[in-house]
Amino acid sequence: MNLAYTPEQQAFRAEVRAWMKANVPKEPLVTLEREEGYHQHVEWERKLASGNWGMVTWPEAYGGRGLDLIQWLIFEEEYYRAGAPLRANQNGIFLLGPTIMEFGTEEQKARFLTPMAKGEVIWAQAWSEPNAGSDMAAITSKAIRDGDHYVISGQKTWSSRASFADWGFGLFRTDAESKRHKGLSFILFDLNAPGVTRRPIRQLHGDPGFAELFFDEVRVPVENRIAGEGEGWNVAMATAGFERGLMLRSPARFQAAAARLVALFRQHEAKAAPAAREQVMQAWMDAQAYAYNTYAVASKIMAGGHIGAEASLNKIFWSELDRAAHRTAMQLLGASAELRHFDGGQLNAWLEGYIFSLSGPIYAGSNEIQRNIIAERLLGLPR
Amino acid sequence: MDFTVSEDQATLTQGVRDYLAGVHTPEVLRELDVSEGRRSAAIWQGLVEMGLPGLLVPEAAGGLGLSLLDGVLIAAELGRAGVAEPIADTALIAAPLLAKAGGQDALLGAIASGEAKVALQHPLNPWVADLDAATHLLSVKDEALMLAQRTPAKAGVQESLGAGPRPSPGYSEGKPLDSVDPLRRIFAPVAAEGVAVGSADALLDHAALISAAQLVGIADAMLALSTEYAKNRNQFGQPIGSFQAVKHHLATAVVKIEFAKPVLQRAAVALGEGSAHAAVHVSHAKIAATDAAWAMGETAIQVHGAMGYTYEVDLHFWMKRCWALSGGWGDRAFHLRRIDAAVIGGSLPIGPGHTFA
Repeated sequence: MNLAYTPEQQAFRAEVRAWMKANVPKEPLVTLEREEGYHQHVEWERKLASGNWGMVTWPEAYGGRGLDLIQWLIFEEEYYRAGAPLRANQNGIFLLGPTIMEFGTEEQKARFLTPMAKGEVIWAQAWSEPNAGSDMAAITSKAIRDGDHYVISGQKTWSSRASFADWGFGLFRTDAESKRHKGLSFILFDLNAPGVTRRPIRQLHGDPGFAELFFDEVRVPVENRIAGEGEGWNVAMATAGFERGLMLRSPARFQAAAARLVALFRQHEAKAAPAAREQVMQAWMDAQAYAYNTYAVASKIMAGGHIGAEASLNKIFWSELDRAAHRTAMQLLGASAELRHFDGGQLNAWLEGYIFSLSGPIYAGSNEIQRNIIAERLLGLPR
Repeated sequence: MDFTVSEDQATLTQGVRDYLAGVHTPEVLRELDVSEGRRSAAIWQGLVEMGLPGLLVPEAAGGLGLSLLDGVLIAAELGRAGVAEPIADTALIAAPLLAKAGGQDALLGAIASGEAKVALQHPLNPWVADLDAATHLLSVKDEALMLAQRTPAKAGVQESLGAGPRPSPGYSEGKPLDSVDPLRRIFAPVAAEGVAVGSADALLDHAALISAAQLVGIADAMLALSTEYAKNRNQFGQPIGSFQAVKHHLATAVVKIEFAKPVLQRAAVALGEGSAHAAVHVSHAKIAATDAAWAMGETAIQVHGAMGYTYEVDLHFWMKRCWALSGGWGDRAFHLRRIDAAVIGGSLPIGPGHTFA
C-alpha cells in the first residue's frame, strides 16, 4: 500500500485542473432533464471531447487516452472540483461503452465507441418494461428475426435520457417462445428509427428526464446485436455490474457534496438542530470512506482482480449516503428548503439534489435487490 | 498510489487467522470464562511461537519490523478470534510507541521474545487492562507518556529500568474492576511515574487505531456466527436465512463492515507515516469500526432470536468485547469532536482532490 501520488499522477492532475479551469462554464447549465439543458450538456460533452477528455480510460483508438483507473479517479476529482456539468452521455460512456469493449466485435467498437467518446451520439438505456422492473427477466418486448434484421415490438419505460437522446440499448426477446433469462438479446437501436415513439415522463422534479418507448415493428440490422443471439442476459448483467460498481458514481461527486454541506452548515450553524452537526460529519466520513474504497477497488482491478457481487455493496453505500447528505441539507435549509429558487434568484440545488438522490436507492437495481445479492452471493444464504 | 494489501500481508494475515481458528476456538473462550485467572500461559506461548509479539518490534531489536498496516490486519484477526491475552496492547500498541521513542531496545527485545507485557493507562479510560500480569506500564503525566517497570510489592524498593535514563519509581497494584466482558481483566488506574517516552496523544491514537481494527474483526466474527445460524435454524419449514427480512438485516451490516475496512487501512498508513492529519483519520476509523461492530452486534442478536439472549450461544463473547472496545480509547463523542474541529472547524482540506491530503 502506497497512498502517495507519483510525480506523473500529480502532473496529470495539474493538466486536468488547468483545462477545467479554462473550459468549465462559469454559469451553471440548465438541468439535463429539460430539452434546453440537454442541448447545453451535449455541447459540453463535445467541448470535453475537443480536449480529448471524453473517456480518459478508453484506448486512444476509440477517442480515449488509454489511462489507468487511478488517473480516471484523479480526472474525476478535478472534474468535480471544477464544478463541471453532469455527463449527458453517462449511459453511453459508463455502461454501454464498457459492455461493447468487453462483448463487441472490432467493427462494433469502431462504429460505436468513438462517436460516444466524442459526444456525437448520446445514449439512452432501455431495460425496464411496465411489467419488468426489479424483475428484469420478465421482459416481453420482442425482436423477431427477419432476414438480416430484427423487427422490434413492445414497450420500454423509465428509459433514462430517452426523451432527447440519439440511440438506445436494451434487452429484447429474440426467441418468442423463451422464458425468463433465456432467449434475450442485447440490441442497440436508433431512437429516430421509423416505428419508435417516445413519450417523455415527467419525473418527481417536473422535468422529462426519462421516457416511455413504444416499438411498432422497428427494423434493426442484425449487426446491432452485442454478443450472440440469446446471450443478452449475461451481457446485461455485466453492464449492470459496471453500473453498480466502479464508474457510474465516482467518489468525487459525493466529496464535493459533503464539502458543500459543510459550508452550508457553517452558514446555518446558529439555528441548526443538534443532530445536524453529526449528520454533516457523517456525510464527510461516508464520502471519504467511499473514496478510499473506490481507490481500493481500482487498485485491485489494476492488479488483475475483478469486482463481482461486491458491486452491490457500493451501490447501497453511495445511494444511501447521497440521500442522507441531501436530507441533512434540506433540514438545515428549514423553511427555505421548499424554494425552487432562493430569493436572490439562484437555483436551490439542494432541493434538486435531494429529489434526484431519492432515485439512487431505486435505479440500477433497487437496494432491496442489492441486499438480496449480498445475502445470497456474498454470504451464501439460501434463495 | 496503490491501495492494496500486499500478497505478503495477506499471507501473514491468513496464517494468523488459520492458526487462531484452530487453537482459539469458542470452546477455549468458554474454558477461560470458568478458569481462575481467565488467562492462559499456553495460549500466550502459542502467540509467541507464531511470532506475534515481535511483529512491530524493529528488526534490530529482535522483531520483524512490520508496519502499522500489518498491525491492524493482525489486530482484526485477534478480534475475530476473541483473543483476551494482552497481545494487542503489548505488541501492536506499546511496541511501535517504544520503537519510536528510541533507546528501548532491551524492552523491545523482551516484548519480541514474549517476556515483557506492557499495560496501557490513559486519562480517557477509567481502567487499565491486564495490569496485574504486566511487567511494564505506559501511563500519562502532563501530556507526556511515561514508562514504568513493575515494582515488587515491598514498599521502598524500586528497580531501575535497564535502558532508561533515570530510575523508575514504578507503579502500585490496581484495584480489580468488573467488566461485562467475561474475559477482560481490568483494574482501576494507578499512581505511576516513569521515564518520558513520547506523548499521551500518540498512545491514544495508536490504541484507538488498534481497537478499531479489533472491532472490525469482532464484527466479522459476529457476521459469520449469524450467517451460519441463519442457514441452519429452520422455522416455517425453511432456513430463516431464506427470508428477505433476515437477509436484509445481514446485508445492511455487511455494507457497514466492508466500508469500515478501507477507512481503517487508510488511518493505519497515515499514523504509520506520521502524517499531519493522522489523528482525524484515526478518529474516523474508530467511529466507522465502532458503528459497524455495534450495529452488527444488534443485528446478530436479532438474527439469533432468543438464543442470542442466552449465555449458551457464543455470540455474547464478541458482543461484549465490542461494547468494551467501543467506549475505550476515546468514545464516539471524543472522536467526533476531533473530526468536528478538523472538518467543520476547517483545519483539514476537504472535497474532491483531498482524498489523501
